[in-house]
Amino acid sequence: MKNPFSDFRSVPYEKREIPLDKILKDKEKMMSRILDGYLKLVEEEAKDLVWLVEHSRVAKAYTAAVENLQGLPFDQDHIEEFCVELDNSQKIPYIISGPAGIYISAMINLSPESRIVLRVEDFDRTFHFLGYRLPAGKTLVIKGNAGEFIGASLSGGNLVVEGSVGSWCGAGMIKGEILVTKYAGQNTGEFMRGGQIHVEGRIQGVGRSLLGGRIYERGKLLVPPHGHHIRAI
Amino acid sequence: MGNSDNDLGQRVLDIYDYIQDNLYFNRPDLQINGREFNSTLLFGLLTALCQGKELIIGEPGLGKTTSAEYICSLLYGFPLGVIWASEVSGHPEQTEEKVIGRPDLGRLNQGEEVVVWSYFVLLPVKIVDEINRLPETKQSMILDGVDRGNWEYLNDAIINDEYCLFATANYQDRGTNTIIAPLVDRFDVMVESKHPGPNLAYLIGSDGASDGHLRDEALEARFHSVLSKRLPYGRLSEELESLCSQFSQAVEGRTGVRPLSKGERAELRVQMGKIPFDLDFNAFFRVVLSELSFCRKYGQKRSHEDCEQGCHFTNYLCHSIRNCVSNRLPLSVRKFSQALAWLLGAQEAGLEHLRLILPFILAHRIQWKEDAVVKKEKEARTDPLDVHMAKEAVREMHRRFMEQGDQIKNALAVACRIADGEPMEPIEGDHPLYWEIRRDLGEPDIRG
Repeated sequence: MKNPFSDFRSVPYEKREIPLDKILKDKEKMMSRILDGYLKLVEEEAKDLVWLVEHSRVAKAYTAAVENLQGLPFDQDHIEEFCVELDNSQKIPYIISGPAGIYISAMINLSPESRIVLRVEDFDRTFHFLGYRLPAGKTLVIKGNAGEFIGASLSGGNLVVEGSVGSWCGAGMIKGEILVTKYAGQNTGEFMRGGQIHVEGRIQGVGRSLLGGRIYERGKLLVPPHGHHIRAI
Repeated sequence: MGNSDNDLGQRVLDIYDYIQDNLYFNRPDLQINGREFNSTLLFGLLTALCQGKELIIGEPGLGKTTSAEYICSLLYGFPLGVIWASEVSGHPEQTEEKVIGRPDLGRLNQGEEVVVWSYFVLLPVKIVDEINRLPETKQSMILDGVDRGNWEYLNDAIINDEYCLFATANYQDRGTNTIIAPLVDRFDVMVESKHPGPNLAYLIGSDGASDGHLRDEALEARFHSVLSKRLPYGRLSEELESLCSQFSQAVEGRTGVRPLSKGERAELRVQMGKIPFDLDFNAFFRVVLSELSFCRKYGQKRSHEDCEQGCHFTNYLCHSIRNCVSNRLPLSVRKFSQALAWLLGAQEAGLEHLRLILPFILAHRIQWKEDAVVKKEKEARTDPLDVHMAKEAVREMHRRFMEQGDQIKNALAVACRIADGEPMEPIEGDHPLYWEIRRDLGEPDIRG
């Protein structure tokens, strides 16, 4: 077929790029890779139709998420955008709350920023597992109420929740600090080995098996009472 | 090619001046290269020069037919009496036998089927008066002839080797019909013959303002005699040309301007055809074509399909119009741009030439949506609504081109290299033309 643009062959061309276009294009490309990684994880995790919270399963999902995200130069903006996509996008065909939170946590842990703020109050969806394995040197601030297993397996980071959390907050945490400005649900600090949980409101119930660490309710040390750990409350 | 090197161009301008000063009084309403023109006269001249087809609209008695007659007489060298005899008037009882040809009854009685062609078919200048008084079914009768100069009757046919056509139309009244869309599309341009204003109108009929110089009863009788001889078309053309030459000499003696000969008209058409288009013309015209044919949702404009609410391209012309422009549009644009550039002695047909002619080429072709009409119909204006809206549309598209012209040319340059096989990405942009470029470069589906 004849080249319909041949009259412009002699025109010196210039690949002009508007800076905003480039930024948007790069961001779009990055988001697409992040979403691909998430969909791959969900595909793997959704094989059994039901996703059960088991230690080995959570650890496996986290490892897979880290593998999928490894090497991607994302930052806090991408994390926020990914949350927005999870909250209301048509791009994600199915969402399983557990892996979604684990994937967000993996992003937070791998991101270059030492302080990350997540405004979950802007979302309709409740996110679980936020702050999972948050490492030392990182601060995660969650604005709004969060779901369950917040700060699970915390590994030295500082987690601040400006709102309430569901059950199993700080479950299995190793070290670090969790501050909840409102209420905490049941099994708070279950299997925790170290670190501290401060809840400024009421705690519905603390875990039965606590192997270390401290839990404070409204500024008062709740666990261990008198400095000793108890097995059940 | 300046007009000093362009004798034919200067002669045509002299003819323009003569008609303007002596025969058709009207105000100039166009300006280009510092020179003012009246649109009816200018487009009439261009139509006659480039073998175009012009629709002249206006109130009764404002010079629609007479302006065409003067132009035909002075550019083709026919006396007015011959032109009058060849005119077809539109009315409901019009028949093919009066417009195109009839059987030679004498010969038919002898068992021979011979066609007597009408003067309308035989002469290169054709005027249809009040075309919209022809019923819609009878308008189809002249479709082919209008389009290609191809006239058929019984088993005979004539193909005009040179012809131009003028049709006049009054505004809608009880006696008029709608001109069918395929016939409208065949007209290259549409102009309005306006009232000249009281001061110029006062001069009409005064001394010196007479068309008597374009009459010659003796020569007209000889024209009728040649036309009645039923000569083969080629020989008839030669004999007519010889009479035209005699009439031209007489006219030159009386008026100082000499009508063009057939050879001169052929020569100037060759000159026009050689005039190139500059890149701004090229890019702007692509912008225009894209806005008049683009639809993101349905692939192209179709008159029976409506735009969806909230379309991203709401601010472009495609959203305000119903139909898709036809492939006759580029033909008209090229022909008239080259003719205008030639007349003005320009080396290339450029953006200014295109801007001047476009409203008159688009006015009758665009079918506006009601919303668009409502917005514009009460605006203060000096043109009929169709021409006014076309002028506004061209002004708007030109503004967009001024803002984005460099990027658009750049996008076309990049597209050229991609089409040549270079591994590049097409340039993205908001205008429909960018989308059309990507479609032409084979992007599977960019409707998103």
